[in-house]
Amino acid sequence: MSPQSVASNRTRGLITGVALAVLAVVLVPSLPGIGAGLGLRTLTVAVIYSLAAASAGVLYGRLGLVSIMQVGLVAVGGWTTLRLHYATGLPFEVVLLLAALVTAVVGTVVSLPALRLSGLSLAITTLMIAGALEVIVRYTGFPNGGPGFVGRDATGSGSTMPRPSLGQDDQTYFRYVAVVVIVVLVLLWWLLASRPGRAWAAIRQGDAGAMASGINTTAYRVLALAVTSAVTGVAGALLAANSGVLDPVSFKAQQSVLLFATVLIAGAFSLAGAVIGGLFFYWVPQLLNTWGVDGNLVFVILGLGTVQAITTAPHGIAGQLENLSSALRSRTGRRVEES
Amino acid sequence: MAGLTLSNVTVRYGGVRSLDDVSMAFERGVCGLIGPNGAGKTTTFNVLSGFTVAATGSAELDGMDLLRVAPHRRARLGLRRSFQQEQVIRALSAYDNVRLVAEHTRSALTSVGRALDYVGLARAERLGSELTLLERRLVEIARCIVGQPRLVLLDEPAAGLDPTESERLLKLITGIPDEVGALVLLVDHDMDLVRAACGTVAVLDFGKLIAFGSTHEVLASAQVRRAYLGVEDDEESAC
Amino acid sequence: MNLLPFVVAGLVIGSVYALSGVGVLVLYRTTGVLNFAHGAIGGLAAMLAWQFIENGLPASAAIALCVTIGAAVSLVFGVVAGPYLGRIDELRKAVATLGFSLALLGLMLYLWNDKARRLLLPTSLTGFSVGNGEAHARVNLTQLICLTLAIVVVTGAALALRYTAIGTAMRALASDRELAAVLGTSVRLVENAAWAVSGAIAGISGVLVADQTRLEPAFLTFLVIPELAAVVVGRFRSLGMTMVAGLVIGLVQSLVSSQPSITAFSTAVPFVIATVVILAGTRRRTVTIGVVRA
Repeated sequence: MSPQSVASNRTRGLITGVALAVLAVVLVPSLPGIGAGLGLRTLTVAVIYSLAAASAGVLYGRLGLVSIMQVGLVAVGGWTTLRLHYATGLPFEVVLLLAALVTAVVGTVVSLPALRLSGLSLAITTLMIAGALEVIVRYTGFPNGGPGFVGRDATGSGSTMPRPSLGQDDQTYFRYVAVVVIVVLVLLWWLLASRPGRAWAAIRQGDAGAMASGINTTAYRVLALAVTSAVTGVAGALLAANSGVLDPVSFKAQQSVLLFATVLIAGAFSLAGAVIGGLFFYWVPQLLNTWGVDGNLVFVILGLGTVQAITTAPHGIAGQLENLSSALRSRTGRRVEES
Repeated sequence: MAGLTLSNVTVRYGGVRSLDDVSMAFERGVCGLIGPNGAGKTTTFNVLSGFTVAATGSAELDGMDLLRVAPHRRARLGLRRSFQQEQVIRALSAYDNVRLVAEHTRSALTSVGRALDYVGLARAERLGSELTLLERRLVEIARCIVGQPRLVLLDEPAAGLDPTESERLLKLITGIPDEVGALVLLVDHDMDLVRAACGTVAVLDFGKLIAFGSTHEVLASAQVRRAYLGVEDDEESAC
Repeated sequence: MNLLPFVVAGLVIGSVYALSGVGVLVLYRTTGVLNFAHGAIGGLAAMLAWQFIENGLPASAAIALCVTIGAAVSLVFGVVAGPYLGRIDELRKAVATLGFSLALLGLMLYLWNDKARRLLLPTSLTGFSVGNGEAHARVNLTQLICLTLAIVVVTGAALALRYTAIGTAMRALASDRELAAVLGTSVRLVENAAWAVSGAIAGISGVLVADQTRLEPAFLTFLVIPELAAVVVGRFRSLGMTMVAGLVIGLVQSLVSSQPSITAFSTAVPFVIATVVILAGTRRRTVTIGVVRA
């Protein structure tokens, strides 16, 4: 097999993934039960959070960086989206891109100093940011068309941001979200499969080897933070447009920890793992709630799951699925050879 | 001047001088850097790579002042190195491992295939994690010769390999100067390998340069035998 | 404006940060585990103390019981997860404790929900006044205990590390585990001792801070943030610097929260202080050549 065929192998994986995702997008809204109402709205949010999960997953899985502030950055993206909407009235798609840009800057600037020290410092610093953002957001609230920089009308007469014209009702907005998420994930996949992805893999392996290969490790770490923060910002924008308003209650520090935990359990090394992580993070707790299981027990399960995953199963559920599929493939392969 | 010239290089760790006013020049071919553990061999490599900062002194590679350049930029100037603990990237294919260096040194991608052919690594699409130790050592050599290297630093390139495998590696190493025109600096404890590969050797002991010259003469000198080979003899008799 | 009450409150909270920070540091230096669950263990101890007092147990007995429980919870985690944690790098060790903190938080929210409660220790009822005229503040006994305890524990820890057998063993482990093991230090025993001690410190900190601020699971769990900030300022090694940092963070937080226009940003204080200290430090990332793990 030549290197070209490796690439085509990878591309095949991507095409399968995208095809499955598109199939899901087409089918899900027509499913009974989840296809409409609360079920669909929950699923929409879960799909949005898979972007935040993918960011945490890329940072941890590809660079070995632990960032525990992703939900905080979703809040930054959401806040910026609402603020820009009320300030400029630009189309949602433009606001979304600007929000991604702002989140990229915020996410990079706050983590840069810690990056100079060590991975452990970055983990601590990002947790600090998650904690700080929780309270700041609770204090300022999210813009609802009010006056001033904060843009919040506290009297309760505030307005909501309309959904994008391409996704007005729940079903079309679900599809809108799914398309944006697929596009972003494909872009992320492309980055991982090209020059930056290779440089990140080298950095994860070790600074010395990476520097000896000519890689500017600082620049590529900054790039990774910027890219993943931007992706998380997109999640914030989509979330803001989903309901038109945002509630500070959704952006507690523990949510950031929970998101990181789900990513770890689901598997940080592949984008599929990230998508599973997003579903875990938002959908499973809601599902358990409807079954009458106390949502707080999810914390217990996922918390203990994290301990288990980090100590014994570094590749998570996605890794185990991959092992399973490659085991099946090698079995069928052998059978073909034998016959 | 062509080649590598170190002038008065001193490195301090706390109160210890792991390199003490070392000056030496290597012109071409495969040159050895030997000495007992802690003599300053790897420190020399780390100074050249930029992982350790020298307190004083300079290093010129083909007339360029190497130590003033940021570590990652030195690869672009033609510096390559391998590590005692090989650093092949497990998550990337062997091909991508080599390609990475080409990418970050502004070299043509065609040199990747050439480098892999030179070391004779088959099925380069396999991941680093799927390679045997010998194959990973081969990938490291390929990473060292891709692009237009001027200076290749090899730190115990054959560590952990059996004699036949070492033999194969030796041939590859001695061929590097002719293949890509680079100067090779080799650190190894295996005296047979050094004797077979290097025309010139420098001997370090406690951070000081104690001998320099043609391999044959240096290894025969009494001082070197005392400082270096003597230690080995003691170790052997202690076993 | 009379800032003295804020200074007092800030120093008191700061002393608890310092106390906890030292607990985190001792565990980190001994086992290499930076315990993100330190706050959650304290939270659990505080919630249990409230429950026991509600059920009629005398406060002193409840507190003693809860400090023991804090030590026990920490020890159990150390004993169960310790062997696995020994095999992974520092960052993953820390992430494992992050998972543990999530589990403890979930348990607390499940058992008690997130309603704010009030844990009032009897020592908070007696106190005295300091200052006079415009600048005055009331200091109660609990606050005095916080300050004294921080000083006693930090000094005690410093002395114990230097002069006792187990302290020497802990320092040996911190500098070179393999060498320490070869020299006959019982690694497991020393590590377990560190887990228990830091758990006890977490327990007492949790109870004290719950009395001084509020008794709320998530709030107490995330008190680990200023505590870790203190450890970062102490460069992961200095007991003294960690203590000073804890006090400064508590003080600045309290003063910031005294100004209505910026009160929301008091939670950003640990981040700002830690970042400023990191930026002021000249130590760069060191390049180490590691062994590649498969």
